Amino acid sequence: MNTLLESKQLKKSYRLGKNNEVSVLKDVDLRIHEGEFVSIMGPSGSGKSTLLYNLCGMDRMSSGEVHFKDRELSRLSEKELARLRLTEMGFVFQQIHLLSNLSIFDNIILSGYLAKSTGRREVERRARELMDITGIAELAGNSIAQASGGQLQRVGICRALINEPQILFGDEPTGALDSRSATEIMDLLREVNDWGTTIMLVTHDVRVAARSDRVLFMIDGRIAAEKELGRYLGNGTSARAREEELSGWLLERAA
Amino acid sequence: MIYARIIRNEVARKKGAMLVVFAFILLASLLVAGGAALIVELNSSLNRLFADAKAPHFVQMHTGEIDPAAVDAWAEGNSLVDEFQIAEMISVDGSSLFLSDSEAPQENSIMDISFVAQNERFDYLLDMDNRRLDLEPGEIGVPVYYAEEKGVGAGDRVTVAGEGYSHEYTVTSLVRDAQMNPAIVHSKRFLLNAADFERLKADLPDREFLVEFRLTDPSRIDEFSSAYEDSALPQRGPAVDYQLFKILNALSDGIVAAVVIILSLVLMVIAGLCLRFTILATVEEDYREIGVMKAVGMPRGRIKGIYLAKYVALGGSAAALGYLASLPLTSLVTGNIARYMGRAPQGAAGLVVPMLAAATIFAMVVVSAMLVLRRFDRVSAVEALRAEARSEAPRPGRVLPLSAGRLFDINVFLGMRDALQRFRLFGLLTFVFFFAAGITLIPLHFLSTIRSPSFISYMGIGSSDIRVDLRQSDDIDERFEEVVEHIAADSEVARFAPLVTSLFTMVGENGETERLAVETGDFSVFPLDYLHGRAPRSHDEIALSYLNARDLDKKVGDTVTLRSGGGGGAGAGQADLRGNGNAGGARDLPMRVTGIYQDVTDGGRTAKAVLPPNRENLLASTVSLDVAPGTDVAAKMREYSELFAPARVTDLRSYLSQTLGNTIDGLVMVTAGATAVGMAVAVLITSLFLRMLISKDSKRIAVMKSIGFSLRSLRVQYLTTALVLLVIGIGAGSLFSNTIGQRLVGFVWGFMGASQIRFVIDPLQAYLIMPLLLMLTVAITTMVSIRGIKEQSIAATIAE
Repeated sequence: MNTLLESKQLKKSYRLGKNNEVSVLKDVDLRIHEGEFVSIMGPSGSGKSTLLYNLCGMDRMSSGEVHFKDRELSRLSEKELARLRLTEMGFVFQQIHLLSNLSIFDNIILSGYLAKSTGRREVERRARELMDITGIAELAGNSIAQASGGQLQRVGICRALINEPQILFGDEPTGALDSRSATEIMDLLREVNDWGTTIMLVTHDVRVAARSDRVLFMIDGRIAAEKELGRYLGNGTSARAREEELSGWLLERAA
Repeated sequence: MIYARIIRNEVARKKGAMLVVFAFILLASLLVAGGAALIVELNSSLNRLFADAKAPHFVQMHTGEIDPAAVDAWAEGNSLVDEFQIAEMISVDGSSLFLSDSEAPQENSIMDISFVAQNERFDYLLDMDNRRLDLEPGEIGVPVYYAEEKGVGAGDRVTVAGEGYSHEYTVTSLVRDAQMNPAIVHSKRFLLNAADFERLKADLPDREFLVEFRLTDPSRIDEFSSAYEDSALPQRGPAVDYQLFKILNALSDGIVAAVVIILSLVLMVIAGLCLRFTILATVEEDYREIGVMKAVGMPRGRIKGIYLAKYVALGGSAAALGYLASLPLTSLVTGNIARYMGRAPQGAAGLVVPMLAAATIFAMVVVSAMLVLRRFDRVSAVEALRAEARSEAPRPGRVLPLSAGRLFDINVFLGMRDALQRFRLFGLLTFVFFFAAGITLIPLHFLSTIRSPSFISYMGIGSSDIRVDLRQSDDIDERFEEVVEHIAADSEVARFAPLVTSLFTMVGENGETERLAVETGDFSVFPLDYLHGRAPRSHDEIALSYLNARDLDKKVGDTVTLRSGGGGGAGAGQADLRGNGNAGGARDLPMRVTGIYQDVTDGGRTAKAVLPPNRENLLASTVSLDVAPGTDVAAKMREYSELFAPARVTDLRSYLSQTLGNTIDGLVMVTAGATAVGMAVAVLITSLFLRMLISKDSKRIAVMKSIGFSLRSLRVQYLTTALVLLVIGIGAGSLFSNTIGQRLVGFVWGFMGASQIRFVIDPLQAYLIMPLLLMLTVAITTMVSIRGIKEQSIAATIAE
């Protein structure tokens, strides 16, 4: 499998006052393959989200390298990074962060219009298709105030997928949802991964992580452990077995 | 103390916004205090000048012989007369007057220049210390106007020279003249030593007399004026009174004071809007804190008090500073008053009135802050704590879909959409753009109007290439005839019209008489635009100037009665008006009003009729002419100047620029100043507003960045929003200046005789250069003000 995303000696630190520097990421080395579904877990404050934002170029690393395909992110200009996020990466956030002044449909097509990779009609067609698949077709004209949390997260996923990105990043995408909605979103993400989109998530939820191919466990700014779960084939029993296996492994890490 | 701490914290947190609000309040207070000081100074200086000069209450000008004994006898019998005198003036033609070693005489000057000796009893010409000026032989006192306009100063020479005579004088002082000070009065008096005056008289035969009165009760001036008119005393010339002197003296500075005060009120409105915007932004940020304060049971009044304290401190210090800053500034803006009238001790009023004006500004700040803070009443503790509930999501149905903007770049469309969607929020900015456009355009339009040759139609004059004006003199009839004959025979003249202005007696409904300056001749040659009706065509028709029509309460179709033969002292011996040889007793001629026109000349009170002039009471004789095609106007003017000397030969442009030169110069300054103010306000508010906007929008900006919007995209969005608001502002500003602005100018100029000024708009300046200049300014300001979006971290904002 080809490597899609790779970090070498990735460091991130913040300066708090004159002689007080806090290291959040310490020499993180990792490699994500094309088509893979990877989850990052770890206690609060271990640097999971920071790692995610540094891997996608929303945050500037302090040192080290991040390679996305053949490009090294620290060498890209703001403009090139923006283009990269627009056309080759997608994002799903815990708080969803839709634009409140746009309708649901417009939130989805916005980055499609901006990318100009295809005509606007094609973007709209694709948006409708995605809304069909994610089960929110009837919400198209609504404002975001008229949808539930689970529905809004589907909108977020549609928005992330509109430009057919190679990788989808998620920062606790189910964190703010009830358990039924969370399960639906997880299944949806699994499906997206099956289409060939690489997925990398930060999560606290074992059930989410259990659906990924690989789990990275972070402590104190480093990747402390890694677990290969293998491809999830999507039936109920295997899911529970994987959750138990992962829980056991996590307990060992915590101990 | 808690208030002091909160104020300190707040100021530190919102430095930029506070500074802008502070600056506006300061400026508003400075201007209003300055304007008030100007009015106080104007009033006290004017009163002092009139007192020091012992200004006459009633003055009758008269050309020709005079019988002092008759005046004396009449005055004895009139109980209203306190003092009277007859002042003799030597009329000096511009072509024989040379100022400050200049080779060229004051030939084309529109001023009527007279040389006088100091008066004995009253109407003194004053020196620059407001003392009665008494000169030694060889010395001359020059009107302040010439120091201001021509740079004449002490030590300069003034020469009066003509064929066979030459008199040279040295300027020892400038002269303040309560009657003829202001530039808009087209008569000026030069002061000589009495012996020099007598010598000059021998060489210059043209005389004018001022029959001057001081009254025991100046409030009964109208009564006195009627009594004089009904007498047989000399009245070949206009009569003027005390009130008019005062108005003319106060006019230019009074307008400045009015403009300054209006400007300060506009600034106050902007300051109020800024304040509202700042308070609302603060309240939004402090929403949770307000909720907490409410939740722990702090009374509403107390919470408001905390916020209000800040604005009381801000408004109080800004207004106080503005007032203090106005103190040294006042001496600058009152410089004109100081030169023309001299400073008068003002007592407490000079300090107290401006202070009260500044205090009013402070009160307005506090009231507007209190009005905005009423909003606190609507915040419930729970709602405030659940700040998330305050979504700014628009109601469905009001959302303009992105697909509607197919024709536009997505960023441009988002910017346009935002401008419309959050229009309420952008109200302040739009208003400021509207203000900037309006304040720039109104003077600009008026400037291009007053500069355009068509402005002549507001001066009661038809448009012609050249005007020949003859000065009043004893042999004027013969000279005028010669001029007309010569012009009629000149093959290079395409058409011409001799027009003579003379005084007629007008009889009111109750038999009271009033004098009316009537221009007579053929008005079809150089036609005039009439406000209502048309030019008079037959002997029984008359057209009135706007101010005359208003004062006489006449409309087109009404009748005005002119008295012919024997009516009033002035009319004695005059020929029958209609020239039909029916000489004899007085006869009243009903004249139908056929038209009303605008005229800002001669105090705006003129009339036109197709009658033979009243030769006994001539005021002005003019020939207007157009040269034949291919003839050089300038050459023809030179030819006529020599030929008809000392007649005044001007072309339309120089007539306009001389008559309106001061006004135009002033207006150029006003326009430049207004443009600068407009731009400065636009820059300040745009920068304040956008800084606060991008801080308010930080989340939205972060989200956009996260999904791939580049900095450039975001800049284009904000720039578009700003420009859309600017275009709306400029559009509204243009509309305002072309309608209400035009009426406003008409209203002000209505006092001078032109009530319905139609702007002659220079489209290049008004609709291209000015908008482009504003756009460029706003675009640059916007780009600079939103630099902050680069520093905003996506991760930090989104992860919050």
